[in-house]
Amino acid sequence: MIPVVAMRLLAAAGLAAMLGWGCASDIPRDTTRLTVGMRFEYPTPNELIGPATLTYSAIGNQFFLPLMAERPDFRDGPPTWAPALAADWEFSEDRLRLTARLRPDAVWSDGEPVTAEDVRFSWLAQTDANVAWDYSFSKESIADVEVVDAATVRFHLDAALPTALADVSTGLILPKHAWEQRPFAEWRSDPGWFFENLVTSGPFLLENRTPGQELVLGRNPNYFEDGLPRLERIILRSATDSAALTNLLLSGEVDVVSGLGATDAQRIANRPGLRLIAYPNRQFTFVSWNTRRPWFQDAETRRALAMAIDRQAMVDTIWHGYAEVGNSPIISSVWAHNAGLEPWRYDPPAARDALAAAGWTDGDGDGILDRDGVPFRFELATFAGAPARWDAMQMIQADLRAVGIDAQPRRVEPGALIQRMRDKDFDAAASAFAIDTSLDLRYAFHSQSIPGGDNYAAYGNPEVDRLLDSFAARPDPSAGLEDLHRLQRILHDDQPMLVLWEPLSLAAFDVELESVAPNALSPLANLQEWAWR
Amino acid sequence: MIRFVLRRLLAAAVLFLIVLTLAFAVVALAPGDPMAPSDPRIPPEQAERLRALYGLDQPLPAQYLRWLGAVVLRWDWGQSYRTGQPVADLLFDALPPTLLLAGAALLAQYLLGIGLGLIAAFRPNSRLDLSVRVASLLVYAMPTFWVGLMAVLVLAVGLGLAPAGGMTSAAAFELGPAAAALDVLAHLWLPALVLGLSMAGDIARYTRSSLIEFQATEAGRAARARGLSETRILLVHGLAHAAPRLLQLASVSAPLLLSGAVVAEVVFAWPGLGTATLLAIQSGDIPVVLAATAYGAVLVIAASLAADLLLTRLDPRIRVE
Repeated sequence: MIPVVAMRLLAAAGLAAMLGWGCASDIPRDTTRLTVGMRFEYPTPNELIGPATLTYSAIGNQFFLPLMAERPDFRDGPPTWAPALAADWEFSEDRLRLTARLRPDAVWSDGEPVTAEDVRFSWLAQTDANVAWDYSFSKESIADVEVVDAATVRFHLDAALPTALADVSTGLILPKHAWEQRPFAEWRSDPGWFFENLVTSGPFLLENRTPGQELVLGRNPNYFEDGLPRLERIILRSATDSAALTNLLLSGEVDVVSGLGATDAQRIANRPGLRLIAYPNRQFTFVSWNTRRPWFQDAETRRALAMAIDRQAMVDTIWHGYAEVGNSPIISSVWAHNAGLEPWRYDPPAARDALAAAGWTDGDGDGILDRDGVPFRFELATFAGAPARWDAMQMIQADLRAVGIDAQPRRVEPGALIQRMRDKDFDAAASAFAIDTSLDLRYAFHSQSIPGGDNYAAYGNPEVDRLLDSFAARPDPSAGLEDLHRLQRILHDDQPMLVLWEPLSLAAFDVELESVAPNALSPLANLQEWAWR
Repeated sequence: MIRFVLRRLLAAAVLFLIVLTLAFAVVALAPGDPMAPSDPRIPPEQAERLRALYGLDQPLPAQYLRWLGAVVLRWDWGQSYRTGQPVADLLFDALPPTLLLAGAALLAQYLLGIGLGLIAAFRPNSRLDLSVRVASLLVYAMPTFWVGLMAVLVLAVGLGLAPAGGMTSAAAFELGPAAAALDVLAHLWLPALVLGLSMAGDIARYTRSSLIEFQATEAGRAARARGLSETRILLVHGLAHAAPRLLQLASVSAPLLLSGAVVAEVVFAWPGLGTATLLAIQSGDIPVVLAATAYGAVLVIAASLAADLLLTRLDPRIRVE
């Protein structure tokens, strides 16, 4: 009897839940809040021990602020900086000291003022070996942080570098009064402690957290900008899959999604009531040719490979147009991109001619080119779990087969492949870099980055080394534009890596929302200004 | 009985240790460096620092003994390389949603499976029976991810009969207990149904064959001779006859449900063990992968043990020695 009653109750509850859900969609919109779907993990509000991902930083920036914030104007020129917690700043004449004055109205959410002590405390934490922050290298040029007075802080720098402002402003300012009670050595052992002791200086505070599901951000009443944030509450909902995010948007359960895949974006494009936006990000995907292997030693062969591969077809079929064919490691959305480079056009006959000129012929008649008895047969590796790149590898295989080259695609676990690439234990491999606006590319192309480093192609060129060093030493990056253009010209001609594409980031939102403007720096950029019409 | 239970528990503990050791060996010997920085600007010294912090600079046997000791003595699975969280906390958050989903899926698969099996057994070899058998094979053959995607597209996005994902509505923490329970139920029924469908076909086929087999036994004929209705014969006596075999299926379906949960959780954005495991595998988060494997093993071993114990109760032919 009891099981029957229980079953009936269960059925009734299930029916009620279904009907309840069906009716819920008729409830009028609450214009004081917004739900955002994205792929994120937020295990701790302490960025120094949190995951180094774009979405994590995007969320962290809602709670904490840096001294200065990079503006998304890198298409127009070298990075510029907007005041955040610092109202203004100035360099000494020798550019070895930077003095910043804090905003007088900046306070933590518990009412305590933001002071220079917080800035020094943050620097100490950022550089502490036990905290082991991933980006502690960005503080290497800072010798000391001096508290001049409660509202003034001075950075003592080791050298006058063009990256000084970037180095100073990397990392958020943390609340000393709330977090100093926990020794740095214990920070990594309990990331959850920082939730319990969270005070914020940014536009939002944390109202509620359901691990793995959602973060509820509430308006910080102590935030210094009048009238912001415009919405009272932002609910961030997590999903691990682009398709799941798309379904949440299409069913009206979230109002905004970011991090969409190209296939899912097509489901959203042209849907009434929704707006899809594609915007540049800082990534580019490339194939590195290991110049220590016999197939890739000469630039002529590498240029022939560039002509043999149809990258536009990849952009059209894999990315459905939500990407651009790449032409340089300084991507097209960055001020220093050399737009004068003539792209290597897909031209199989020209590729065949170039290969023949480089000595590659089918001497044994097996359909595969060879030179000095070495058949043009190599492994083309990429990361497991990167479906777009895997599809591209298949296309490259077919393109190269058409000119007599046998490329064998292979998926490798990411950590293993990175290690192999750093050890130069690979033939050719597809990977991706995210370029930062310092445009310091020494890690990728300088000959000093060959042993164990990220100069995967083992590419060495004294002129490239000179240009890279010269640019890195210039206090004013814009003065190095010619160097950067020349650098790109050489890389374009030498082709140690073939840039395949520059993907666009995809986000979609309800058309009734205004001021939604994600950018390469953050999918939640200007979140405090988002609002319903 | 107590001796039987103790013996099985001891065997389970040994099996668990074997699983732990094998999992550690496989993960440790796999190529790749979990500390390799994803951003090329991060210098190699940072990886060295993190290796030292996580004890990865120690020889492998020392790492193994330290890890095993921490697990066995303190149930301490270390810290996630990806998020820095204690793994036990991370999985403590992820386990209840998975258990809820798997439990509901188990219920769905038995309700559906037994129901369909009964319908088929009432009229063996009829068109209805044939339809049930074909449908059972069909759902058994369809991959969970495809069924899940279709279910979301049609029932959730298209018809609005269910949420398209998640375990609760946005800001559900504000709901009262009853509304919160209904909210979870509204999110649960579709993924549970999808996950349960894969094994429901199997249950239906077993139920059907057991019931038909029962009708031909002496007990079945005797029940009919006593004038019991066909419904009562099948529902009461037939299902009692089928119960041990169906119970055995439950222990078989436990690992299938867990692996299916990984897929269902991703499709339905369900925040459980499967989602946590998938993220860990994708990012080389070894402590989470090891712990999730162990949790899965514990669940499967426990389900098998529970099924065996129940079986001894249900089937008098089985004696505990």
